[in-house]
Amino acid sequence: MSKLDQIRPKIKALEAMPTVPAIVEPLAAMLQQPSEQVSLGKVVELVSYDSTIAAQCLRMANSPLFGRQNTETVRSAIVALGLKRIEAILMGCCLNRIVPPDKWVLDAVTFWRHSLGCALVSRKMAKLIGYTDPEKAYLAGLLHDLGMLVNTIACPEEYRRCIQCARDEHVALDRSEADHLGFTHSESGKVLAEHWKFSADLMAVIEFHHVPGSTPVAAPLVSLVHLSDLLCRLRGLGYGYYEAMGVDLAGESAWIGLAKHYPALANVDLARLTMDIDGAMEEITATVDAVFKPRAAGAS
Amino acid sequence: METGTAQARAKPQAEDPKDPAYLKIRDVIYRISGIYQPEEKLYLLASRCARRMSAVKANTPAEYLEHLTMRGNREAELRLLLNEITIGETFMFRSPPQLEALRSVILPQILKAKSAMGFKRLHLWSAGCSTGEEPYTLAMFLLEESEKQLAGWTFDVLATDLNDNSLEAAKAGVYGEYALRSTSELLRKKYFTPHDEKRLQATDQLKSVIRFDRVNLNDDGKMTFLKGMDLIFCCNVLIYFDLSSKRKVMQHFHSNLLPGGYLFLGHAESLYQVDDRFHLVHFPGTIGYWKPPAGYVAGGKP
Repeated sequence: MSKLDQIRPKIKALEAMPTVPAIVEPLAAMLQQPSEQVSLGKVVELVSYDSTIAAQCLRMANSPLFGRQNTETVRSAIVALGLKRIEAILMGCCLNRIVPPDKWVLDAVTFWRHSLGCALVSRKMAKLIGYTDPEKAYLAGLLHDLGMLVNTIACPEEYRRCIQCARDEHVALDRSEADHLGFTHSESGKVLAEHWKFSADLMAVIEFHHVPGSTPVAAPLVSLVHLSDLLCRLRGLGYGYYEAMGVDLAGESAWIGLAKHYPALANVDLARLTMDIDGAMEEITATVDAVFKPRAAGAS
Repeated sequence: METGTAQARAKPQAEDPKDPAYLKIRDVIYRISGIYQPEEKLYLLASRCARRMSAVKANTPAEYLEHLTMRGNREAELRLLLNEITIGETFMFRSPPQLEALRSVILPQILKAKSAMGFKRLHLWSAGCSTGEEPYTLAMFLLEESEKQLAGWTFDVLATDLNDNSLEAAKAGVYGEYALRSTSELLRKKYFTPHDEKRLQATDQLKSVIRFDRVNLNDDGKMTFLKGMDLIFCCNVLIYFDLSSKRKVMQHFHSNLLPGGYLFLGHAESLYQVDDRFHLVHFPGTIGYWKPPAGYVAGGKP
């Protein structure tokens, strides 16, 4: 039995945990439908299911990162930002609950800064190259590291050692995971994504974002998230430690592959995109602190 | 990253950085000089513009935009504005991410490649060294590494500038608190001696790493002879050049660098559409421009 098989039952048991909102599964199903088939009322109902999550969603929706809406109700936030964006925001807020406040191994703020950063950069790049569904790119960027949450819950002590080792040796986390756990967050994330019946392209992003050349489906989306992930890790939105690496992004095979589908990629001003990420940094930090920072039960 | 204005909102200013004219000013600066400011940092641009606006008596950013684009003295005004924008960037150890990338990624890479060919000598060049903060930083960095990964290697820093006054100041190596604000107590003690009550003087050991020379980057004759560089640093110099001069300097830099070498620019500078021979390489928190060795195939790792 492989090590990954050993954590499967733990992932199944996740569902029974009181911290996992009951809306994750219906939400995952809804995310796969085109927005014209989703009822506004149903989304409002899901967002309003939990008052803390609803408040977090509104705080996110009102962030200057999304153009500052000043919406006061879930309904007006949906009107301002669109169904798909609110669904993605809601998914992020739900996932944050998977890990109880005192159980974070990888610092929660670090994790969400990276995930939100990757979501924003994926969407920005999607728009720059003319990718058809920037909101899907946002969602894929947000969820690509889902497996880190799985690892945190399924094997906290081993994962703590694994992260410490990556930090000490300045190496990529997936390499350290393979050495210490016998599987990576890409693999464990895929198990949970399967369990929640995520769409095939989201699942491909979660499983192949470190090796985009290996994905059987959704190659452009997987490449897009791979590149955004790298960019974030290189601009202070990484795993929270120094990764000794130099990356010729435009020379990456993911870039070259993506440019075949989206020729506009060749004209992307990488230096400018990088400085835009730096510019958004403070607000990403502020938003994550306000929405995702773990708080003890009872505190608001 | 869409229209974030939180910082602008958080910092009260007399100027309103949300005035769309600042976006246009930003775009003009970027197009002509290659210096970029993200939208969230427009409040900084607004405060830099404010000083020039009062000097030329422009009442609104839109009016000042005219000074930069339509008036006869627009080139001179842009130069003055660029001076305002880049002012205060000259102090030692200004970019820790750059030095960290040198230490943990670039030097190991270059040392490995050169060792394989039997070379044990490094050449760095600070092109447009101004009053010397950059070359002294590099010299300290190299001396610190000489007991570690540079053991057994020889190295030097060529420091050039067009301005004689700047060069004289650089050669003197006397610095006050501003220039030394990011230099640790340890390094101050090791590489400086007291000059007067407020200033420190670089030691002869530190100076011995650096060779100063007057070089005009536009001087083809001189540029042609500066060969064999491993690393070139050219911070906020090209921003004053027009496009064709920029391209010419980049052509020189490319041939001055050894294959596998890197060029570093100022932190807000971009070479977009100026040069496509160099590869933009990201390191944590910093960007370098890489001259790939012969036989490099994209899709591999630098």
